[in-house]
Formats: sequence, structure tokens, C-alpha cells
Amino acid sequence: MTRRATSKLGAYAALSGFGLVAALVLGRPEIVALTAPFLLAVGVGLALAGSPRFTAEIEADERAVEGDEFDVRITLAASTPVDRLDVFIRLPPGLELVAGMRARSLRLGRGEQRKLELTVRAERWGAHRLGPVYLRTHDPFGLRVAEGMLARMPEVRVYPREDTLRRILQPRETQVFSGSEVARRKGEGIEFADMRPWAPGDPLKRVNWRATARRGEVWVNESHPERNTDVILFVDSFAEARGQVASTLDLAVRATAALADAYIGRRDRVGLISFGGILRWLEPGMGTVQLYRIVDALLDTQIILSYYWTGIDVIPQRTLPPNALVIALSPLLDGRSADALLDLRARGHDLCVLDVSPVPFTQRPASGVDSVAYDIWILRRDALRHRLQRSGVAVAEWQEGAPLQAAIEEVRAFRRHARVARA
Amino acid sequence: MTIAGVTAYAFSGGDTVASAGGALAGVGALVLAAGVLLRFQLAVPWAVLLAGAGYVVARAHHSVVDGWAAVVGSALLLAAELAAWSIASDRRIHEDRALVIRQSLTVIALVVAAGLVSFVLVGAAAVSATAGLLLTGIGVAAAVGAVAVVLRLVR
Repeated sequence: MTRRATSKLGAYAALSGFGLVAALVLGRPEIVALTAPFLLAVGVGLALAGSPRFTAEIEADERAVEGDEFDVRITLAASTPVDRLDVFIRLPPGLELVAGMRARSLRLGRGEQRKLELTVRAERWGAHRLGPVYLRTHDPFGLRVAEGMLARMPEVRVYPREDTLRRILQPRETQVFSGSEVARRKGEGIEFADMRPWAPGDPLKRVNWRATARRGEVWVNESHPERNTDVILFVDSFAEARGQVASTLDLAVRATAALADAYIGRRDRVGLISFGGILRWLEPGMGTVQLYRIVDALLDTQIILSYYWTGIDVIPQRTLPPNALVIALSPLLDGRSADALLDLRARGHDLCVLDVSPVPFTQRPASGVDSVAYDIWILRRDALRHRLQRSGVAVAEWQEGAPLQAAIEEVRAFRRHARVARA
Repeated sequence: MTIAGVTAYAFSGGDTVASAGGALAGVGALVLAAGVLLRFQLAVPWAVLLAGAGYVVARAHHSVVDGWAAVVGSALLLAAELAAWSIASDRRIHEDRALVIRQSLTVIALVVAAGLVSFVLVGAAAVSATAGLLLTGIGVAAAVGAVAVVLRLVR
């Protein structure tokens, strides 16, 4: 802690000195009587000003979900008396104080321990650092203060609240491991696919006895195997549109978490690419551990301003396996992300785009050139969506407040009826 | 309130010099009020200085040592302490009740002790009409000590 004299000490000392000199010069004893109280305050105050010794610790829950309330505890323990201790905790944006005092002044006796309890609500997902906690002690007369702050700033990881998805997007191709997706090719499985004449090596249990009796030769059933799929969640973090409480990135992160949860639950392999000012990726994996990895990576996603014109060449090959379904969540605000999406499609990736619409976060100017510019911007967004759709990319606009399932159904409908374009 | 009392006491002389002193002390009271309102800590010593100077000016033509000087000194200290407390206190910072009570008692104790010390000084000065070499020496030492404290703080 840094100790320093307050302006009060300087003022009292200056008044005392000036008064005594004036008393000597003018020869007036009354001036000494006026000065003596301030001199006494300085003398006694400095004599009583010791070095307060105390410890402070801050504790909080490590994890929370958006909207949850959790407790923050600041424990203060003094080994010497602390006449006045000011405690102030700074809460980062995204955390809201519900109960307790953000700033308190208290006194600690020798050996006394106090616990300050605060209840905080997690308003927004993210990895939030609690603090810093500023501490300031005063001596009895307020002539000297010692200031410092707690070095430890505990991290609270607030996970996004996810939508529950009833149906998700099915990729065109499946992978080799077993899962919940019925493959288009034939093989060992439960789902009936076709019948064919018996061939040496076919097991007896696959014989279709009715067809065999009708045709006079042995026929066997063929089936579709249940396979897993590779899904890559592509989060555009180049730019965002932000409102009072939410932003397009907030919506994209929540949707990504919901999609990751749904696909991991089907034993699919899920990977993550955060494409923006800083490129972050997670290779596809499966299981609950991978889900936590994805959500943890999402918490660190943020918009970082960058003028670097980057393309998908910088993405490692293993992050984008062949035949993987790429689901992009983008507000389509930055040309670089739009180009990257078109490039992905051109390279043959099975791509669909959830356009996290920035329009609800904006307001059309009433008139003038600004309103024309706004209209042109809306038209350019439409043109970009049509350009993607012409390339065979399913695009659905998703607005704040609308269920994610609706946008997914729109993408499903497009993929059901659209032909695959070879760009 | 206390500094206004000092102003009223300075005015009580009735003559022109006392009025001038009272006016000076009144300016000090105004400066203090403005400092508290604007939360300007530096206004406090200037207000005390002006009020004290006003009192001294009002007593300029009196040859007898004023017995109320001890009360005036304590009143100035009380005004300074309360003003400093008022400026430093922030409504957003929650102060424990025990802390407020203790701080109040500390200020009261300080003012009472200061009043006693000043009273003894005034009494000693009244008894010894001629200051003498010893008292002058003590006064010079005190002044030098106070300046040394100021220099130490500045450094």
C-alpha cells in the first residue's frame, strides 16, 4: 500500500506555521491561541498515525449462467486497529450489483474479522474479472492515508443461456464413426434402405423371407448405417451491431452454444472457428469435454478492430475437415467475412449462414442523405444474401427476440429444395 | 455555523476596525460555504485564515489579551474539521454507524482538548504581560518547527 499525507495535514501545518510567525511578528498572543488547536491536531494526529496491518481477500463463484445471481465475499482481517477503512469494488460491464454495497467505510478493531457480502447478477456472458478492489485506510484525524488494491481479481465465467433446439441442420455427408445421423450410403444399420439378391458373406439375419418366398431366390435387406457428422461453427467476430443491452455478437454466441450443445448431444464432432480480428479455432471433437471447450472459447470471443485483410487460408486444414457442415453465424457487416464465406462455399464446403441481423440494432434516419445511405445499406445486405443463396448457401436472417429454431427451419427448408451449386 | 459565530464575535466590537475585521471573517465564512458546496478541499484553510485574520483585525486596537481567543481558535478548528468531513464524505459510500459515532467523538475530543490548550496559553499570556526572552524563544522554536513540518510534507 502507498502511504501519503492528505491535503488536510499540509493545510493544518501551514496554518500553524503561518499563525506562529504572525504572532511573533505582530506580538499578539491571541494568534497563538488561534493557531494552537491546529498545531495540536497535527501533533496528536501524527503521533496516533500508525501503520495499519490487515489482510483482504475476495472470493466468488467461478461459474454462472446468464441471469444467475451469485455471491461475492470480501474478507477483511486486521492484526492492528484500522480507524477507517474504505473498500470499493469495481464490477466489470456485464455484472450488475443486486444486493450489498459497492463502497463501504468501516472500522476494524485489533484481531477483528469482517465479511462483506455482495450479490451480483450475471447480465452478459463472458469471462469477467471481479475487481479491482480498492482499499484505503485513514488515521484517526485523517492526516495520512494508505491506498492500495487487491492483486487478486477472481474470474467468473458466465456461460450464455442457450435456446433448446428441437431439430437441427443435417449435413449432406456423414463421417465414419457411429452416431445419430442416418447416412445416405448403405451399410450396417437399423434404417431400411433397399433389397438385393443374396451374395456370399451376407448374414442369415438379413434375409428378407417374404421377398425370398415371392421371388424364388434369396433376397436380403440393405440398411443405412447411423453415423456421426462433423459440424464446424463459424463465428464472425469482425464487427458487431450493439444496442443498449445486447449485440449481434451476443446473439451469435448464444446461438453457437445452443448449436454446439445440440450436436454434441447427438455424438457429432463439433469444432469452432472464431473468425475476426483475432482468429481462434478448436479442432472438431466430441463429448462433454469438447462442449465445455467450445463454450469456454466462446467466452473469450470479442470484437477486435483489425484492418488486416485475412482469408480462410489462415485457418488450419484440420479445423475444416472435408464433408463437414459449416454453420456460419455472421451479421454480414464486414466484407472480409462475406468473402471468406463465399470462399468456403467455392471450396466445396457444405455451408449455411445464420445472418444475425444488425437491423434491429439500428434506426433509420428520418430524412436526408443519411436515410438514403441507410436504405442502400439494407439493399446491399439483401444483395449479399442473394449472392450467397445463388452459390447454394442457405441463408436465414435471425433477428433479436425471434426463436433460433425458426431460423434453423428456414435454412432446412432451403436445403431441402435447393440444388447444390458447384461454384 | 461556528465560523459565522466567529464573524459575529468580530463584529461585536462596534467600531470601524471591528466592522472591517468582521467583514473579513464574513468573507472567510462565505469561502468555507462555497468550498463545502463545491467540494473544494483547498477552500478550508483559506476560509480559516480569513476568519482568523478578521478576528485579529477586530482585536487590533485592544491592548488586553482576549480571553475568548481560546474559544475562537477551537471554533475555527471545529469549522475546519466539519468542513473537511463534509467535503470528504460521499453519499455513494456507505459508512458504518459505529464509524460515524467514533469520528464524531474524535472531533469533539480534539476540539475540547484544543480549547483547553488554547485557554492555558491565553491564561499564561495574560499573566505574563511582557513576553520576555524565554517565551519569544519558545515561539520562534515553534514557528521553525511548524515550517520544518511543512517542508517535510512538501518534500
